[in-house]
Amino acid sequence: MRKVLALLLVFVLALGMLAGCSSNTSTSTTEAATTAAAGGESTDKVFRVAYIARAQADSFAAWLANAVMEEADKYDNITVDVFDGQANDDIENGLIENAITNKYDAIIVQPNNGEAQRPYVEKAVAAGIVTITTNARISGIEGASSVDADPYLQAKVNADAAVEQIPQNAKVVVLLGPPGNFHADARRDSWQKEFFDKRPDVTIVGEEIANWNKDEAMNYMETWVQANDQIDAIIAMNDNMAAGALEVIKDNAKFSNILAYGVDGTAEACLLIQEGKLTSTSLQSAYALAEGLLDTSNKLLTGQETQIDIDIDCPLITKDNVAEYIEMHKKAGAIQ
Amino acid sequence: MNSLLQKIKKSNLMATFSIYFVLLFLFLISMMANENFATIGNLSNISRQIAVGTILAFGQTILIISGMLDLSSGSVLALAGVLSVDAYLKTGSLIVSFLVGIIVAVICNILNGLMVTKFKTPPFIATLAMMAMARGAALLYTNGQNIYQIGDYVIFGQGSWFGVPNPVWFLVITMTVTWYLLKHTVFGRSVYAIGGNEEAANASGINVDRVKMKAYIINGIFVGLAGIIFMSRVNGGLPNGANGYEFKALTAAVIGGTSFSGGVGTASGTLAGAFIVGFLDNIMVLVGVNSYLQQIVRGAIIALAVIYDIYFKTTRKKNKAAKG
Amino acid sequence: MSQDVKLKVLGIEKSFPGVKALDQIEFSVRKGTVHVLCGENGAGKSTLMKIINGIYQPDAGQIIIDGVEVKIKNPIQARQLGIGMIFQELNYIPEMTIEESLFVGNWPLDKAGKVDWKEIRKRTLALLKAENLNYRPDMKLKDLTVSDIQMLEILKAISYNSDIIIMDEPTSAITNKEVEVLFSKIFELKARGAAIIYISHKMDEIFRIADDITVFRDGKVIDSKPKAELDIESVIALMVGRKLGNDFPKVEVPIGAPILKVEALNSSKFKDINFEIKKGEIVGFAGLMGAGRTEVMRSVFGLDPYRSGKIIKDGKEIKIKNVKDSIDHKIVMLSEDRRRYGILPVRSVRENISITNLKRFIKKGKLHAKEEFETVKYYCDKMKVKTPTYETNISSLSGGNQQKVLLAKWLITDPEVFIVDEPTRGIDVGAKYEIYKLISDLVSEGKSVIMVSSELPELIGMCDRIYVMAKGEIMGVLDKPEFTQENIMRLATGTTSNN
Repeated sequence: MRKVLALLLVFVLALGMLAGCSSNTSTSTTEAATTAAAGGESTDKVFRVAYIARAQADSFAAWLANAVMEEADKYDNITVDVFDGQANDDIENGLIENAITNKYDAIIVQPNNGEAQRPYVEKAVAAGIVTITTNARISGIEGASSVDADPYLQAKVNADAAVEQIPQNAKVVVLLGPPGNFHADARRDSWQKEFFDKRPDVTIVGEEIANWNKDEAMNYMETWVQANDQIDAIIAMNDNMAAGALEVIKDNAKFSNILAYGVDGTAEACLLIQEGKLTSTSLQSAYALAEGLLDTSNKLLTGQETQIDIDIDCPLITKDNVAEYIEMHKKAGAIQ
Repeated sequence: MNSLLQKIKKSNLMATFSIYFVLLFLFLISMMANENFATIGNLSNISRQIAVGTILAFGQTILIISGMLDLSSGSVLALAGVLSVDAYLKTGSLIVSFLVGIIVAVICNILNGLMVTKFKTPPFIATLAMMAMARGAALLYTNGQNIYQIGDYVIFGQGSWFGVPNPVWFLVITMTVTWYLLKHTVFGRSVYAIGGNEEAANASGINVDRVKMKAYIINGIFVGLAGIIFMSRVNGGLPNGANGYEFKALTAAVIGGTSFSGGVGTASGTLAGAFIVGFLDNIMVLVGVNSYLQQIVRGAIIALAVIYDIYFKTTRKKNKAAKG
Repeated sequence: MSQDVKLKVLGIEKSFPGVKALDQIEFSVRKGTVHVLCGENGAGKSTLMKIINGIYQPDAGQIIIDGVEVKIKNPIQARQLGIGMIFQELNYIPEMTIEESLFVGNWPLDKAGKVDWKEIRKRTLALLKAENLNYRPDMKLKDLTVSDIQMLEILKAISYNSDIIIMDEPTSAITNKEVEVLFSKIFELKARGAAIIYISHKMDEIFRIADDITVFRDGKVIDSKPKAELDIESVIALMVGRKLGNDFPKVEVPIGAPILKVEALNSSKFKDINFEIKKGEIVGFAGLMGAGRTEVMRSVFGLDPYRSGKIIKDGKEIKIKNVKDSIDHKIVMLSEDRRRYGILPVRSVRENISITNLKRFIKKGKLHAKEEFETVKYYCDKMKVKTPTYETNISSLSGGNQQKVLLAKWLITDPEVFIVDEPTRGIDVGAKYEIYKLISDLVSEGKSVIMVSSELPELIGMCDRIYVMAKGEIMGVLDKPEFTQENIMRLATGTTSNN
């Protein structure tokens, strides 16, 4: 028994050390950053930036956090610490407060829920700290800047294409993100105004909340396939859900000509476009966001500007231009 | 008609099989509500969809009967699943990847078992801790990113054998194993005894700790299997996948008549519970019920099914406790 | 019958599907008297008491208190009507403190409507002092002995100022000294004018405190008379519907070689325990509650560890680390606490029996259902277990039948030494007799029995030798000619005059 215990202890310690090491590579701990900053202050002013992520467990949020870290390496005068909001408003708000107390020079907030973080972002602004909101922006805060991709536009570029592509009297299914989520709601709104309002001939034969998840989207698609002989298009609010729906019908000849639309431009979506399964998606590039964030931070911190609100591009990815995006993902290591 | 109903109510038939009547009732209602419901294709779909949650539920059933539970099963599923997918990408061997999935989940559950038996941690806390650790480990390993292009790995979740989808085969196998273990082995009897009265079981010569450990190991095998099927079905390694599946599993077990006070529960009941939830989710999508309304209906039906089940069981008990 | 009738029930009927539990029950209790109810388990006494306490509703009939008909819908209403009940089976929450348990559901409130814990503490201290119980009010119930918990239950029922008090076998878990305390309480209550309904199987008790006696059988009142018109023989005859012969069916069997020997056994709960038992012998262990008898047996049985000493079986030292070891060495134990260490409450009679020796039914890695069924049937028949089917939930059997099931579960392990701890606690006369008979049968088959009991008559009637313990030590051993209640009590109370 004692041996088992000893082994167990060693195992846990080893795991802890591993975890410690690898987290150091991606995000430096607060203490380390503080001392580094204190040391650097006498020579050249190094700005400390707190990046408060929505949730490291969210694959896009994690991608964005990694991209921000990479981008920060290009700036000698900026160090970034990443904090994990764990998809929890309370935790995220607490992290913002801590960052204010710890006197960061700039705070970047990727809100879990914009309205819940608003008063805390206002506090940061009031404390005289450079404050930037991103993905999604919290708009209308005096003195706060923002870098975002416009979710309405992201869906619109797809919807515009779909207006031309989807046949007359088509039957479509719609997969929604979590209700109340800014991006989920704005994307659906965009599809309504830019597509469904313009195409009254199209019928929605199924519309369900799949919470951005591939497995939930699969379950709904399986049921829809049973109930409908004809489905002409899949309209998904993100790529994960589109990929899930396509997974269901990939070997089904009846649906071989189905059209499918996503948003995000993930590696998987690019591959699906290349295979001719996904019709189009629009890129919400974490690299572009990260670039914008660091550039904005730099300009604000060095006093070149006092407020910036920018939107990154959201290019439409189709079979014609997918190669360049696959190349992008290959560079990032997401595609082997 | 009325007297027949009374007769049925008085007989043990209704009490023992009440949950199956709920299932049958739901099936008939669904059949009338939509002509696509009772088709082979749709029923096969439902079976495939509930397979992962139900395999987890069989593990939970054994644990709950013996007075424990596993809150970590969704997270361990994800950890075992992504490691298994990654093992496949690295070795190209389906067998190796299968074994990796099972072994990872079993190790996590041995840790659960050690916490519960040797350190006397309440299972709720022990597995809550494991839930966070396993999820964290899965995200750490993949850096929070999904793994794509998993090739032939999809055979576990998407292939079929003699026209029956593989997940359904796995469902049938785990169901049979659970049923056999609970019904026909010393282990099963010990599980019921420990859940019924742990001190009395110990005083009857049962090695309580060893039985509990075995229960977690079996749970681990099921969780690993579920992880492999899940990842294979979604054609990717999703470190954030199966979030909340532990509650799906607990729900199926409890609707199926497994009692949180321990000592009561069956494999077939859990299967019925899983199908009740599966039918319900399916028919609501087929009929096109509003998504928000679906959640309300789902909650209400779960409550009703359990109330109905308890109602029949308690009336039976009162009948028997007659002679005071 | 000059005194007023306090409580009267008329034509009470209660059916449970398939059983008529109570049939046209009629009886009354007068103020300031004790009315004893007796009858075998399952005769309907407890059902009637549950009706009076509002737990069950009668199908027909009336309950009349002070000449007014009342409907009692629940126990809270019963309490408001001045009815207090002490249950036979202890229902307590181990984590509760003494003061919490005394005032649960009846908390005194302060002016602000909060629970007044100061007042509770004050009243608890007063009660404990008045009863000479040396406990702190904040001690948890799990740290108390069963008999003290029973005393607390009694205190609780009395503390509500009830004037109808129902006591369902209140002495089944307390010592003789405490019985005396209880009886003096009962006499106080009588003097205060309370009407007391007292359920018991113990004839000596019944005849000490009863004013009236009512005998139940099969859901009917068989007879209801003042005590003066009855004697022990006639009450027993009324209860069982037949005359009992010998109280103790002791059979003389040849005593063989020593089979189990315990030498210098020590633990934190007992010290220097030496005893031996021979083949075919029934050895008794007497002593007051807390003397350490159960603790010694638990260590021999592997439930608790022992610090030092030897256990020798058939001349060879054996190590017992857990219950399985002791079962392997053919030593088994029937626990005194049927609920805690005995039954598996939600499982069937069959499973409760086969649990101790499942290996016996394994064929090709699978439990053999038919063989299990037949073994269970054999032992249930042998034990005369009354159960509708073997799939019946054990919780729905009467106490006596549960006890027989538990004996059966140990018999299937084919034991050589059978330790029975308070084997007849809380069971009726008929079932008691059957259990004595079984113990006799066991020794006739060459097995040995260790009988731990607080009921001296059964020890004297059944045993070949009796060890007496006090304060964790063996005070002495008595051979048959020396068996008297006085000799045993002298050793048990530690007042040894010689040796």
